[in-house]
Amino acid sequence: MSSRVRRAQGFTTTQAIAVVVIAVIALAAGFAVGRATAPAPAPAEGVETVTVTKTVTETVTVGEAREPEFTFYYISHGGPADPWWGPVIKGAELAGQLLGVKVVYQGPEKFSIKWLVDALQSAAAAKPDGIIITVTDYQALDEPLRKVIEQGIPVIAVNVPDPRPPDERIPYLGYVGQDEYQAGYKLGEYVIKWFQREFGRLPKNAVIGIHEVGHVGLELRAKGIQDAFRDAGAGYVPEKLDITTDITKAYEILKSYLRANPDVEVIFTLGPLGAHPAMQLIVDEGLQGKVFVATVDLDDKILQGIRDGIVIAAVSQQPFAQGFLPVVFMYLYVKYGIVPPEHVPTGPTIIDKNLLGIVEKQIQTTGGA
Amino acid sequence: MALKRIERIALAPLKYRELGVIISIIVFAAIFYYLNPQFATAETLATIVSLAAELGIIAVGVSFLMIAGEFDLSVGAVFAASSMLAVWLLNEGYPFPVAVAAALGLGALVGLVNAAVTIIGRIPSFIATLGMMWLIRGILLAVTKGFPVRLEVEEPMLAIFSATIIGDLRVSALWFLALAAALHFILVATAFGNWVQAVGGSPATARALGVNVNLVKTVAFVISGMSAALAGLIAMARFKVVEPVAGVGLELEAIASAVIGGCSLAGGVGTVAGAALAAFLVSEIRTGLILAGAPAYWYIGFMGLLLIVVGIINLRVGRAGVRYG
Repeated sequence: MSSRVRRAQGFTTTQAIAVVVIAVIALAAGFAVGRATAPAPAPAEGVETVTVTKTVTETVTVGEAREPEFTFYYISHGGPADPWWGPVIKGAELAGQLLGVKVVYQGPEKFSIKWLVDALQSAAAAKPDGIIITVTDYQALDEPLRKVIEQGIPVIAVNVPDPRPPDERIPYLGYVGQDEYQAGYKLGEYVIKWFQREFGRLPKNAVIGIHEVGHVGLELRAKGIQDAFRDAGAGYVPEKLDITTDITKAYEILKSYLRANPDVEVIFTLGPLGAHPAMQLIVDEGLQGKVFVATVDLDDKILQGIRDGIVIAAVSQQPFAQGFLPVVFMYLYVKYGIVPPEHVPTGPTIIDKNLLGIVEKQIQTTGGA
Repeated sequence: MALKRIERIALAPLKYRELGVIISIIVFAAIFYYLNPQFATAETLATIVSLAAELGIIAVGVSFLMIAGEFDLSVGAVFAASSMLAVWLLNEGYPFPVAVAAALGLGALVGLVNAAVTIIGRIPSFIATLGMMWLIRGILLAVTKGFPVRLEVEEPMLAIFSATIIGDLRVSALWFLALAAALHFILVATAFGNWVQAVGGSPATARALGVNVNLVKTVAFVISGMSAALAGLIAMARFKVVEPVAGVGLELEAIASAVIGGCSLAGGVGTVAGAALAAFLVSEIRTGLILAGAPAYWYIGFMGLLLIVVGIINLRVGRAGVRYG
């Protein structure tokens, strides 16, 4: 009876130990594999510490053999779940290594504005020499960022700016990155011009596959594409299609859409997650030369698609530069008092067949474009 | 008396919990056909089945476990982890059977750990497998740094997961059918199936009757994990690439399918066939809405509405079934 009561109340010591041991082994195994496959650190005598503080947060600290002169926090809404941020993290780390600056990159596993604000506040508490941050939600970040700037910590915005006019804007030093709306608009404009050049007319119909509905950046890209068609007087606006991040669903959803709308000649996708299934669908259905993909962001598979003529063009915002440049600008500011320009664009750059060579180099060296 | 008998005969089909789903499938097919005749083509059916197969393979495993009274939220993560493991092994030059066995083995191992944590740790499986989901996802993200993992070698054997049979119909449909049939048979025609329902219905009673409750639950967890691994292999074989975010949200779609198919969240009640049919229904609606030209953004809201409505119907049907069955 007494044993039943004890069991009902919770675990016995043995059980508790068993659970803890399993958890520790699982975690250790995870880190062991992580270390084994992580890219080798650049300096031979360099000390690399990779710490994952929580399951929802990845903190990567790249230490140096020499004492870092400054510490910069790079806080972004893009976590390790989104491959696009891989080159950004690499770029920030490399700039830190070259300049002798400690760069602490922080990004959530899952998109969260609350996380961003919390991360900013913890970073400010650490009194760093500079903060680089994506102004993903200017309203949520307005007050905390102004406070940080008042405390004398310099701030550079990256990837997403404060969209308000200069006198209302959060007084950060400058912004490095592209405009998502412009990325979409330029892509739409390019496709329309390409069709006029190749076929002497506009595409009969087009669709936009959006893989994360409600993601402001993606919605802005989609709106840019739609406005480009509106401004060109196409007589229609490409419809947005929720293709999800699941590759099988994206493929079958696009296939069904093409069946219901056989006049579609262009599939716009807003990232590799959408572009891959769209490209495969065109090959599987033998639609080469009839239906084309135009997309945002690049990887090796999309480059191959451009080479094969399946992809008309891809917009690159050169993510490595969005990691590298703000660290350099922050360094110049903190060390030499050089004020960065108000806006340093890293894109949108339209990559078509003519630019393949140089972009291949970018992908090989930085992991993305 | 006579009235009672008529009522009993009229309501007899309510014993079959799959009935609601079958009716829904037919009604939606009629509506979608009316909206766009292209709905009734072999191609559309192939699309629906391709979508249903991956979700369905997971849903039947999850429903089996739910009938045994437990949840598995880690299936989406296992879907990604097991297929990624297979890709790594194939890229490293290991033979195909080893890679497949390792992937299925990983699914089984996660099932075992889920069972151990739930049974020995005495925490609800909802929490145990939620933790497992994040743990696996975290490891995947840390190891891949967020990048997709691509299959770099040619592996003709992958055709057993991805080949097309007739037209656009894929072999994944056969895997789905085979697994659903096997689990359905186990559940309704074997002593073990009886234990599963007993354990989910009332563990204390089952234990009193001499059923090894822990063993039954462990087997059900392992089946759930291995089903997720199989679905992962099928998706990987088709696209030759695994994203670290692959399968995010699949766990909830699988549970929703199980519930639409008649599984009770409290365990003990439900059928594997119902979950399989529900996976088909979910895919039918997704495809049908696109063909009908419905604004694509409505799909998810529509699914939410359907889940609520079917949930209420199932509850009523369940009660009536108990009364008249």
